[in-house]
Amino acid sequence: MTATTRAKTNYLVTVLGGLFSLLAGMLITLRNLFRRPVTEQYPKSKPALSKNFRSAIALVRFEETQTHDCVACMQCVQICPSFCIAIEGDKPEGLKRKRATEFHVDYALCSVCGLCIDVCPTNTLKYSRVYDQVAYRRDAFVYDLLTEFRDAEVAYLEKARQEAAAKEAAKQAAAAARANKDTAPAAANASKELEND
Amino acid sequence: MPTRAKAGAVSERQHSKLGDAPLPETYHLNMGPQHPSMHGVLRLVLHLDGERILDVDPVIGYAHRAHEKMAEHRNYLMFLPNTSRVDYLSGMIYNLAYCQAVEKMLEIEVPERAEYIRVICSELNRISSHLLWFGTFLLDIGGITPFLYAFDDREQILEILDRVTGSRLTYCYGRFGGLTEDVDTTFLDQTRAFVKRLRERLPEYHALVTGNVIFRGRCEGVGVIDQHVALAYGVTGPCLRAAGIAFDVRRAEPYGIYDRFEFDIPTEQSGDALARYKVRVAEIEQSLRIIEQAVAQIPDGPIMPDKPKKRFKPAAGELYFAVESARGQFGIYIVSDGSEIPFRIKLRTPSFSNLAAMPAVLPQTTIADTIAIVGSIDVVIPEIDR
Repeated sequence: MTATTRAKTNYLVTVLGGLFSLLAGMLITLRNLFRRPVTEQYPKSKPALSKNFRSAIALVRFEETQTHDCVACMQCVQICPSFCIAIEGDKPEGLKRKRATEFHVDYALCSVCGLCIDVCPTNTLKYSRVYDQVAYRRDAFVYDLLTEFRDAEVAYLEKARQEAAAKEAAKQAAAAARANKDTAPAAANASKELEND
Repeated sequence: MPTRAKAGAVSERQHSKLGDAPLPETYHLNMGPQHPSMHGVLRLVLHLDGERILDVDPVIGYAHRAHEKMAEHRNYLMFLPNTSRVDYLSGMIYNLAYCQAVEKMLEIEVPERAEYIRVICSELNRISSHLLWFGTFLLDIGGITPFLYAFDDREQILEILDRVTGSRLTYCYGRFGGLTEDVDTTFLDQTRAFVKRLRERLPEYHALVTGNVIFRGRCEGVGVIDQHVALAYGVTGPCLRAAGIAFDVRRAEPYGIYDRFEFDIPTEQSGDALARYKVRVAEIEQSLRIIEQAVAQIPDGPIMPDKPKKRFKPAAGELYFAVESARGQFGIYIVSDGSEIPFRIKLRTPSFSNLAAMPAVLPQTTIADTIAIVGSIDVVIPEIDR
């Protein structure tokens, strides 16, 4: 075989090989043409959100109290890497425990790391399932988490106050009963010890 | 006029300084930062003689977010969400690497089950990163179809990971000592099904791409990073292995429980774009092998230590911890002054070193090749800039 014929054969092999590789690719395309499309037509068909889907945080509504249990301990505010949580808390009248009075989250800053949920001592934080928030202004992403709890919170506080008052009354009644008993000589020593305490 | 002469002299000096090239008629072309073929915001200043590249200056910093500086102003936990945003394509690997580094510093024991889940998730993430590279690289050099197939497969991974981690891209799944969520049998079944599915798809990828005459014509012998250049510039990952050096952190300095799995380190000798392609596709297969073994061996048990620590305060000192990310060696260097806030965290990112080798590789190639070469080293710009 001369050099020229060899070159010609090589050229032919390259051309045919190239043609074959192109046809192989087109065959795959052809085969895939008959597959069911994988595209989801989003607004028409909405895929289910995943089990652990993370979004902006929200407050848990507890069955028992029908309200949240944020005690404004500020642990989430301190751990938040994006500094996007702002809470204000106060001791409501007649109660000894602090309650949150303001709870704002700036979702535009949040990086859904979940550290706030991890540190929450009362487990009152969870991920919401919001996924399609759109707005023209940034402040639209500042969520007031307490809005939906305002009514429930009033009812809860009223109930808690009544309970606290009832507790206090019971305590006083018990003390009064004890005082009455004190007049009896047998209990005199015991009550003295109590007073010393 | 003296003033004009002066002005002329200045402009001439500036010109010669800017040129700094052997030929008088050098043309400067800014490729990027907003160029459809450049990944992210990379800017390459090409010094051209016609179509031939004489020199190249990669200009970086457009996506700088000061991650390392941020680490100096927050405690160890608060840096967690930053890690997956350094390299958003293998966020899981980065996130878990940071957890492992801090665990090593604090000597926290990680439960067995958590270790296995970490391996499965990291390898899934590696495959998803390679699949994305596969798709976009071929898109760069003109093949649109493989991109759609690769993203179809990648979507499966994202769904599997989304189900446990709650995120699709920037995961914050790791915690010091374990993980945030346990996996269930559905996750393991999905993972098994995915391994089977991708194994069936890989021959299709090979038939579609590896043998394709146009693809080979654009990649064969293009952008050779030889062993000397690779070692001189600290190139790691698939780019190094494509040059014939079988270095993989998972094997060289095993971390986590990687020493328990059987896998090969694919290498190629030619060091060109085609070799890098082959190494990555072979790595997908090896990752599938690791996942298969991990899913088979995963034990029951807790995913966090019995008594997780609340405060993380490493003793004063320093630590370097490296993992194999999808792009190469990712190192975390932590300096602690004994307080709750790190004194310094330095991130050694593979794309930075891989891109640094470009001025040694690109000269004497053409503009069209630049796309193929820069695409084939698989850079993630936010990882370079950090």
